[in-house]
Amino acid sequence: MKQITVILFLILSPGLLFSQADYPDLKDISKRLKALDKNSNVSLSTLTKTKGGNDIHVLKIGKGDLDNKPAVAVLGGVEGYHVVGVELALQFAERLTSQHSDALDQTTFYVFPNMSPEAYAQYHAKLKYERRGNASSQDHDRDGRLSEDPYEDLNKDGMITQMRVESPLGKYTTHPEDARAMIKVDTSSATTQRFLLFSEGIDNDKDGQFNEDPEEGIAFNKSFTYKFPAFEPFAGDYAVSQNESRALVDYLFEQWNIYAFISFSPANNLSSPLEYKASEAKKRIVASPLEHDVAINKMVSDLYNKTISQKPYMQDNKGTDGDFFQWAYFHFGRLSFSTPGWWVPEAEKDTTSTSKIKDTKESNFLKWAAQENLNDVFVNWEKIDHPDFKNQTVEVGGVKPFVMDNPPFSKVDSIAIEHTNFILELTKHQPKLEFHNLKVENLSGGLKRISVDVLNNANLPTHSELGQRSRWLRKIRIDLSASKENILAGNKIELISKMDARETKSLSWIVKGNGKLTLKAGAPHAGFAEININL
Amino acid sequence: MKIYNYNSLYCLAFLLMFSFVAQAQQKFFRAIGTPHEPKVEVSWNRYYTYDGIVDIMKKINKAHPKTTRLESIGKSYENRDIYMLTVSDFNTGNPDEKPAMYIDGNIHSNEIQGAEFSLYTAWYLTEMFDDLDFINELLKDKTFYIVPTINPDARDNYMKEPNTPHSPRSGMIVLDNDGDGEAGEDGFNDLNGDNHITYMIRKSPTGQFIKDPQDDRRLIQVAVGEQGEYEMLGYEGIDMDGDGEVNEDGIGYYDPNRDWGWKWQPDYVQRGAYKYPFSLPETRAVADFVMKRPNIAGAQSYHNYGGMILRGPGAEEDVDTYNREDIRIYDAIAKKGEEMIPGYRYLTVYKDLYSVFGGELDWFYGGRGIYTYTNELMVSYLYFHENQGRGNQEEELKVDKYLTFGDAFVDWEEYQHPQYGTIEIGGFKKNFGRAHPGFLLEQDAHRNMAFTIYHAYQTPKLSVLDVNENNLGNGLREVTATIYNERLMPTHSSQDLKYNIERPDLISISNANVVAGMVVEDDDFNKVKEQVHSPEIIRVPNIPGMGAVKVRWIVSGSGNYKINVDSAKGGKASWSK
Repeated sequence: MKQITVILFLILSPGLLFSQADYPDLKDISKRLKALDKNSNVSLSTLTKTKGGNDIHVLKIGKGDLDNKPAVAVLGGVEGYHVVGVELALQFAERLTSQHSDALDQTTFYVFPNMSPEAYAQYHAKLKYERRGNASSQDHDRDGRLSEDPYEDLNKDGMITQMRVESPLGKYTTHPEDARAMIKVDTSSATTQRFLLFSEGIDNDKDGQFNEDPEEGIAFNKSFTYKFPAFEPFAGDYAVSQNESRALVDYLFEQWNIYAFISFSPANNLSSPLEYKASEAKKRIVASPLEHDVAINKMVSDLYNKTISQKPYMQDNKGTDGDFFQWAYFHFGRLSFSTPGWWVPEAEKDTTSTSKIKDTKESNFLKWAAQENLNDVFVNWEKIDHPDFKNQTVEVGGVKPFVMDNPPFSKVDSIAIEHTNFILELTKHQPKLEFHNLKVENLSGGLKRISVDVLNNANLPTHSELGQRSRWLRKIRIDLSASKENILAGNKIELISKMDARETKSLSWIVKGNGKLTLKAGAPHAGFAEININL
Repeated sequence: MKIYNYNSLYCLAFLLMFSFVAQAQQKFFRAIGTPHEPKVEVSWNRYYTYDGIVDIMKKINKAHPKTTRLESIGKSYENRDIYMLTVSDFNTGNPDEKPAMYIDGNIHSNEIQGAEFSLYTAWYLTEMFDDLDFINELLKDKTFYIVPTINPDARDNYMKEPNTPHSPRSGMIVLDNDGDGEAGEDGFNDLNGDNHITYMIRKSPTGQFIKDPQDDRRLIQVAVGEQGEYEMLGYEGIDMDGDGEVNEDGIGYYDPNRDWGWKWQPDYVQRGAYKYPFSLPETRAVADFVMKRPNIAGAQSYHNYGGMILRGPGAEEDVDTYNREDIRIYDAIAKKGEEMIPGYRYLTVYKDLYSVFGGELDWFYGGRGIYTYTNELMVSYLYFHENQGRGNQEEELKVDKYLTFGDAFVDWEEYQHPQYGTIEIGGFKKNFGRAHPGFLLEQDAHRNMAFTIYHAYQTPKLSVLDVNENNLGNGLREVTATIYNERLMPTHSSQDLKYNIERPDLISISNANVVAGMVVEDDDFNKVKEQVHSPEIIRVPNIPGMGAVKVRWIVSGSGNYKINVDSAKGGKASWSK
């Protein structure tokens, strides 16, 4: 029966994948997770409920002895406004189970599809804005009042964009090539029209700041322990303070087999690798990836660029304070990779232009959108009456929320296919322990010498250089099944702290007795090798 | 009428008789400084298990319902309640709105006496209330939140199960300490069954030690080139898992005092760190409580050993967090403490002790802006009033010979060890060295308590010092109020101000028609800062210690107004015309 459902699912799933026109809402996601759970290789569980009452899910995907196969964890919804990350994580799970289940012979996968459900839901809400925080009550500006200065939809278009106020005090002006885009005033040109630029709203608490204490809580991606920005907006008073961050971390600490993380999040160390900074790496509080780990990052980045067709452009986010992706490496010791999955490509150059002004992210986006015939990306500046700026010209407008961080939905499938392929490619390089050259020599008096080589037959080491320091990665343990009394030389249990890519270690024992022994080597995150020995 | 007279005569007779009887049976004469005939009798020369502590807390609460509240702030890993006594004068305002002192002990399970010291504080304050004016005023103004043990599980393990003076230290979560995939598979073994983990020694031709011919409890190293008689084999134990190591994976190990949320670092940077800040149920319970009680202005945690009054920072990387204004206050209180507790020195963790990330005192200060000390209880000085240093074997043997008469030492005795063969087991007991011997306990508890009382006394005390009125004409009046803080601590430490940890202090005027409101920065030259939004509630960032702030309103109309001061850490004060 279960097989029939799986077959039905396989037939139907491509239909499911391609039937949508827009990013799924929380209900759609829940349906797709339930559909995935019907697959015999998938188990769906709930880690916790957020303050806002949403479930945080994990899909554990694998075959056989799941916990003792090296595993990759994939996260979406790391930032709520990055809705494409959720879709990429979901599609990865769907494509993996329906089309690539052979990968489960070697690897276990954990997919956390949406770590920011409340912020994500803002995409589908009546009032749309790029939200980061969960549903907890926070005093972002730390003035003793909760959420007293939220956004206001002044032009009643159902979304929060920007507002500009004509003022000689302004620091912004219009872009010479596209008057819709705002750029910082060039100090050399004194005559230009100047604007103050704010997000759309009212200064409710009259403190001179706009929307500095919105109705949202802690951002998942700003709440982890590595460089935790205590007391900053969206970070809170201390790290890992929310249900979802705690539940995730608690769960991860129980999954000893994870060797790598793929976060679909704004940071990018896949289009280009992180840099090694010796002075930062040598500090007690390590602040640069270690040298060997940067080499691994380089190798994986090459793999990414070979698999992913989009060329890097303006990808300068290498991690932000308190984010998840850096935590997974610096504080959890695992290989950690992050990509937004998609970014605004470089627009074709306008050959007739003579302007010296460089493209900003926004002007490049507007140019690219025009080239792609995307017409629904901008709210034209329009005058409104603003209570905080009586008798001044105030206009609301700007790039619509979400469109610069998320591709049009029609582009997502091909992105998902490429990223699924990349993750599967990565797993082909994961640690793989093998025994070679087993020899049993007979010594006199019934004694035997066993010798064997153990090889990590992979391009990745069993432990990252940093992970080697962490107590939360197990050592490679080698166990000989002979009783302690029968081992005259060699260790019954031997612990090895790391095996490099393609590294071999030679082992030998002198034992007495006859019969069969087993030799086992491995760790959950590096997999296990086992060999039988006939004495 | 007559009946009444007879009655009163009878009463008089009875009264005389009883007072005579009472006088005849009077057994006690008041000792200065100690509660006389307390409602709750407690012996302060012994240690209490978790059950013993809870029992005393319940008795205190029952005997003093008007000055105490007993509650559990959470559960430990093994599901014990973490009990707290709130001590204050409950008839003079809400205790959770008075400036408060938080005190805990025993975060390290083997550092037991912090629990007794904390408990002594609750006992002393409640028994002396209504007896000493100073204590009456203290409890009228302040609140004490006292949690004797924040590690109840492992406290009991330390006492009831075989341990060294240094174990378990962590709580009862068992981790894989040797990275072999198994947790807690090779802890200590109490081979001689005396509930103490002492040392194993073995006769060996290559040994470097001999027993001191003048005191055979003591092992001394032989001179270079001399043949010794014994080798040291470490703490009592056997290799349980066959990996060739002894005692390499017991209870824990992690350190609850590396689990706090200020500049927390993982285990590879800070050994003992658990998973993330407040990942242990016990520290989480304290943090959740402290987050709910912004009135906590001072805090104290008790450890052992060393006779120290410690302040942060725990790590050199965090030196900038402790700025000069706050260090001035830390210094003033702790230097008084040095006078109160002979043998104790005021030190800074990172430079005088060792480096600690994620420690309790750093979170209380860095994360909450609370002036906090850690006292390392017990020091060699208390034995003979000499500083012989930590673990001075010669001194300790002398103590056990002349003061404790052999109670502290397990004499060497032969034992057949399954792996080492014939060995001898012996050494100092787990409850000697770090823990005070009974006869030193009460005095040191009192002195340390006195230090925390001084600390609590110096939390802010606010009053509306005076209110001046100035007629501006046109039906307008200018009302200027001076709010005074008569203690050392400001309402916001500089750390608090740097990050706006607590809300500003609110100074409000009611029953007045407010035209404008402002903070007076310099009264002599009329330098003021207007607050345009909601001028009836002036928000001042801080009221400095031994200092004042002035606020001014311009009000119209007549009427008797009221001025209210509301400060998270400074409490409340008011003034009515």
